[in-house]
Amino acid sequence: MRTLHIIGASLWRGITAAYPLILLAIVWEAVARLGYVRPVFLPPLSAVFAQFWPLATGGDLVQPLLVSLYRAAAGLALAIVLGVAIGFLMARMRVVRWLLDPLIAFSFPSPKIAFLPIFILWFGIDHLAKIALVAFTCVFPFIVAAYAGATTVPTHQLWAARAMGTSNLGLLRRVVLPASLPSLMSGVRVGVPYALVTAFTAEMVAGGGGLGGEMVLAQRYFETPTVFVYLLIMLATGYVIDLGVLALRRRILRWHEG
Amino acid sequence: MSAPAQTTPAQTLALPIWALHSLSRLTPFVLFLAAWQGLAKSGLIDPTFLPSVSAVGHALIDLGASPSFYTDLAVTLGRSLGGLALGAAIGIPLGAGMAVSRKIDGFFGPLVKATYSLPKTALIPLLLLWLGIGSATNIVAVMFSTLLPFVVYTYHGIHGVPQLLTWSARAMGTPQRRLLWKILLPASLHAILTGLRLALGFSFVIAIAAEMIAANTGIGKLMFIYGESGAYDYMFAAVAAVVALAYVADRLTVVISNRLLRWDDVENRLG
Repeated sequence: MRTLHIIGASLWRGITAAYPLILLAIVWEAVARLGYVRPVFLPPLSAVFAQFWPLATGGDLVQPLLVSLYRAAAGLALAIVLGVAIGFLMARMRVVRWLLDPLIAFSFPSPKIAFLPIFILWFGIDHLAKIALVAFTCVFPFIVAAYAGATTVPTHQLWAARAMGTSNLGLLRRVVLPASLPSLMSGVRVGVPYALVTAFTAEMVAGGGGLGGEMVLAQRYFETPTVFVYLLIMLATGYVIDLGVLALRRRILRWHEG
Repeated sequence: MSAPAQTTPAQTLALPIWALHSLSRLTPFVLFLAAWQGLAKSGLIDPTFLPSVSAVGHALIDLGASPSFYTDLAVTLGRSLGGLALGAAIGIPLGAGMAVSRKIDGFFGPLVKATYSLPKTALIPLLLLWLGIGSATNIVAVMFSTLLPFVVYTYHGIHGVPQLLTWSARAMGTPQRRLLWKILLPASLHAILTGLRLALGFSFVIAIAAEMIAANTGIGKLMFIYGESGAYDYMFAAVAAVVALAYVADRLTVVISNRLLRWDDVENRLG
């Protein structure tokens, strides 16, 4: 009885907190149902939900989502490996820092999407061009995060580890990498949404499947409910993945006070 | 001649050190371009895939002499800055309202949370349905993408204003309305300007992406026209122009922001 009461109370709290969203949904449905806008511009919300099932069973939902996620994940993985390597090298070696710092400072604010035509020229219009663009977009936050993380390691810790006979590689693995983890996780928090957005955007521009590509196709055929379904799927994907990143961060950084 | 009467040793040294520093910062660019030119001319790579620096340079000079290139550049810049201005005009008051009023926060907070993870480029196909191909779609897409950085940074900026400041102002009899203008907004200016810098970056990305998806004008469209017609040196030149433009815009934002923040603590300056 008591638990039921608590569940009821928290449910009520959830509903009251989300009331603007519920209101929005009701207004949307009403405006579309009452015929104030043509359904090709704004189909009723119920029509959008009704579109989920045919898309899902027709393989037009999970398949494109997996393609987009694969591109985002592959690009992100590439960005992490390259970014961490470059960031650590910059922290360790003056020459590398001198060489790369001005180039990175110059490229950081540039809209990376502008490089898509170049990547299409180099890698074609399939997976590789999109993965390259995702990696190129996400590598910069990771370079900065890895560099910032590696430079926070107190010099006496490096000396102590060395004095106890830790090798160069061991130093990286046992001291620098753990010390940089908080900073790197902040990089992940920034990089993951960038990776998703970039993958979707690249697909919209260059086609070649994925949620972005399918969405632009649906728009060209004026299948507005389908456009909304993809929009909602993108929104949900971003939301779920962000929650996942936060959970991962809590797990990895349990030992860290921040 | 009214030359400075005295120059301290530090002053005479200042110029060479400054010059040496920028020379040292510029050298990597020279090395990068030299490596690119060497690679392109070595014959290891098909020149179609990597036009040489000199070819891209020639294309850039050619573009620099053609008025239509500036028109495309201006169209894209106008769309991104127009959308950015709209985003600021709506986002800053909204963020401030959410920070000072529980009611406004209660209504817009869930909406902001719900749309935060939406890739804003996903709105472009929808806007194309509603507004058709053209600047309107582009500007509205930029507006939506820059809205959230303004809202979030203004909101957190005002929440970060030390209670001491608001209490002191209140104790001295400042009314609620003046509190916002005289205390809360100035004290959160550095946060809002950080949001502006972030939003500026988004605005270029969205404007160019929207042009690449569907447009008849603008630099994003131009790149694809060059790419499709095989004029790769011109394509590279257009990319270089965009990168340079974005860099200059970002630096200008930082310089202007720091000028506006002269009175503020040094740690609140933008990097």
